[in-house]
Amino acid sequence: MPRSGWDPTEDSEQGTLTATASSRIKRDLMTIFTDPPPGLFVVGDELNLKIIHAIIVGVMDTPYEGGFFYFVLKCPNDYPIRPPKVKLMTTDAGNVRFNPNIYSSGKVCLSILGTWNGPAWSPAQQLSSLLLSIQSLLNEKPYFNEPGLVQEQIPGDSKRYNEFIQHETLRVSVCGMMENQCRLSIPEQLKDIMGKTFLEFYDQYVEIAKNNMHLDGTEMIDPFNKGRHLCHYKNLLLRLEKIRAKVMGKTWNFFKEPSCTNVDLKERQTNEEAKCSSTIAS
Amino acid sequence: MKVTIKNWVGVATWRWVANDDNCGICRMPFDGCCPDCKLPGDDCPLVWGQCSHCFHMHCIVKWLQSQQVNQQCPMCRQEWKFNNK
Repeated sequence: MPRSGWDPTEDSEQGTLTATASSRIKRDLMTIFTDPPPGLFVVGDELNLKIIHAIIVGVMDTPYEGGFFYFVLKCPNDYPIRPPKVKLMTTDAGNVRFNPNIYSSGKVCLSILGTWNGPAWSPAQQLSSLLLSIQSLLNEKPYFNEPGLVQEQIPGDSKRYNEFIQHETLRVSVCGMMENQCRLSIPEQLKDIMGKTFLEFYDQYVEIAKNNMHLDGTEMIDPFNKGRHLCHYKNLLLRLEKIRAKVMGKTWNFFKEPSCTNVDLKERQTNEEAKCSSTIAS
Repeated sequence: MKVTIKNWVGVATWRWVANDDNCGICRMPFDGCCPDCKLPGDDCPLVWGQCSHCFHMHCIVKWLQSQQVNQQCPMCRQEWKFNNK
C-alpha cells in the first residue's frame, strides 16, 4: 500500500478516528500502562488522541545504555488497518544518525512501518509490539543492522561505531535531552520519568565518561553518515554533574523551554476528543 | 416432601465459541461486538479463516478490503480464506 510520507509531524491526514481506531489506541495504551515493558514509556497527547509520545531508554550493555530516545507517533484514522507514522525526535536537530535503520531525519526504517522491505504491518500488531521492535534496533552491535553488512568493511568498524554511538548517546540523548537543547515539547509525565531514570543510570554515565576520557580529542567517524565529531568526554562529565545537581535539588526542569509544538496545531482535534484521551489515564 | 411447580421462567445465555477471548484486530472481547456496533449477536457475527483464526466479521472485512494483493490473516500471515464449514 502506498504510504504518503513517513513523518508524523508533517502528516496532513485530517478528520477523526473511526470508532475502532480510538478504542484500539486506548486499549494499546492501557496494555502498556498495566504491564509496562522495561525501558519503554508512553503517554497519549493531551489534545489529540491520534498522537502518542514515547521514550525508549537505551538498554544496558548496549552503546545506547541509559539514553533517552524520544519518539512521536501518529495513528491514521483507520488504525489498526494501517500502521502509525513514527519519528525519532532525539537527533540533535537532525545532526546525528543513531542507527543504520534510524536516520538523522528521524525516519525509522522498519518493514512493519512500511518504510523498509519485509513483513508488512498487520492489525495484530499494536503500539507495544511496534515500540519493542524499535527498541530491538538499539542493540549491542547496531553496525550489523545495516542490510548487507554481515561482515565489517574494515576490521574494527563495529567497535568504532559503538564508540561513536556511546559518545553521542551521552552527548545528545542524555545531556542534550536533559537540558532540552533542541527545545522539544516533551510531556511532563515523560520528563518525570527522565529525571528518575537519569539518577538510576548516573553512576553508569560517569563510568562510561571516565573510561573513555583517553579518547578525548580524537575524531569519531560515523560510517553511515557524513558528519565527523570530536570526542569530548571531559565536557560531558561536567554537564552530567550539573544536571545531577539540578535533578537532586529538584530545580531541574528543562533548561530550555520548548520553542514549538511537535505537531501542527491545526491538526489538533476538538475538545471532545481531548476528553477521550484524558480518560485513558483514569 | 412434594413440590408442585406452578410456574417457571427459562433464562438462556449464549456466547461465541471462539479459540480466543478477544478479536485480534479491534482487541475487544468476542462476547462484545466490534467498536462500530452497539449490540453483540447476529448483527456483529464472528467469522473464521481456514487457518482457524477468528475475528469480528466487520473487522476482518475492513482489513481485507484494505489489502489489494496478498490478503493475509493478521495473526499468522497465511493467505486468508473464509472457513465456510
